[in-house]
Amino acid sequence: MENTLLTVSDFVCLINQTLDYAYPIVTIEGEVSSFKTNQNKYIFFDIKDDENSVGCFMMLWQLRMPIEDGMKVIIKGAPKLTKWGKFSLTVSSIKPVGEGSIKKSFDLLKEKLTKEGLFAVERKRQIPKIPSYIGLIASTQSAGYADFVKILDERWSGVLIDVAHVQVQGDDSPKQIINAIDYFNSQETLPEILVIIRGGGSKDDLSVFNDEPLVRKVASSRIPTVVGVGHEIDTSLADMAADVRASTPSNAAQLIVPDKISVKKSIDEKILLVRNNLSNNVLMKRSEISSKLDVAIVKIEKSVEEYSSNLAMLSGIISQLNPNNVLKRGYAIVRGKIEKGYNIKVELIDKIVTAKVGDVYDKKTDDTTKNR
Amino acid sequence: MTKKPTIQQKIDELNKMLEWFNGDDFVLEDALDKYKEMEKLAKDINSDLDSIKNEVNIIKKKFDN
Repeated sequence: MENTLLTVSDFVCLINQTLDYAYPIVTIEGEVSSFKTNQNKYIFFDIKDDENSVGCFMMLWQLRMPIEDGMKVIIKGAPKLTKWGKFSLTVSSIKPVGEGSIKKSFDLLKEKLTKEGLFAVERKRQIPKIPSYIGLIASTQSAGYADFVKILDERWSGVLIDVAHVQVQGDDSPKQIINAIDYFNSQETLPEILVIIRGGGSKDDLSVFNDEPLVRKVASSRIPTVVGVGHEIDTSLADMAADVRASTPSNAAQLIVPDKISVKKSIDEKILLVRNNLSNNVLMKRSEISSKLDVAIVKIEKSVEEYSSNLAMLSGIISQLNPNNVLKRGYAIVRGKIEKGYNIKVELIDKIVTAKVGDVYDKKTDDTTKNR
Repeated sequence: MTKKPTIQQKIDELNKMLEWFNGDDFVLEDALDKYKEMEKLAKDINSDLDSIKNEVNIIKKKFDN
């Protein structure tokens, strides 16, 4: 090449062709410094280690989680020589690595999305009590998927589960999960619940579920979402954005459908309750009728008693009026004309006497005479 | 053709019948028939839960694009 005369542009082009051929994409781990955003579109930063530093450029929309100076990251990018002769990496992906950086990025995004209200309780929708159609986003080769299906089969029956098989770790994973969410949300018949699951893994593996576009997609799903990622101790931002957070894939299955044994028991209890209520109702009606009859009987008896008592009184009166009773007390009945010389008949209780009337005078006259 | 009711729909129906028993519309004369209906529905649900399986369908589409 030393005898080939190149223009500056040719030289830059040649270097870029060589770089593109030799190192189309490089993956570099290092620490971020001088991180800045320009015009809300472009990002510039340096990636460095103890001895060297390389300038990097990327588009803002490619940034999937917050990055700041001092974070340890892994970048993927294409080395380029710019037209100003500056060497830089055109970055296609950047992600924090190491517990400290992952946590820092997680905290920054969590704070940002919390401020936007993405995790607010008021946003959470209720999932149907017993769904008949579920959309499931998972890797069908994962243990988490097997656990989910097993628990679902043990607990409930008659559910149609459409499964979108996606990668649940790696750089392509967030995009695939987002595409699957879009797929389910664009169906003519929407599933009643959208479930996103992944079994346990390292912090780095699970960081897929802290991807900002993915978290936003979960929050904006038309279909209510259930997210069960990792083990019980793991929390992802996708979990927090979901309508229901499950601690594990198995727990997701437990939250979605009831346990058929307890449902059967509850149905049996309901039937028993109705049967008992019905028997009680019949007993109550019987007792009501019986007490009404009792009241009627008491009334009749009282009325009979009243009649009996009146009858007894009348009998007494009638008995007093009986002439024989008067005769018994020593009185007599006199029949015939009470005039001097006439014959009369005197009836006593046990005898009849005939007599002739002597004098007849007023009782008053007789009394006056006697008083004289 | 009428669509076969789901287990959830049957459970909802059962709960509705239970409400009738506890509500103001309750009439003793109709109660035995309703109870028999309820018992049959409960039997149906139990049998569905024992016999029907979940259906898993893996979507053929690739999601990488």
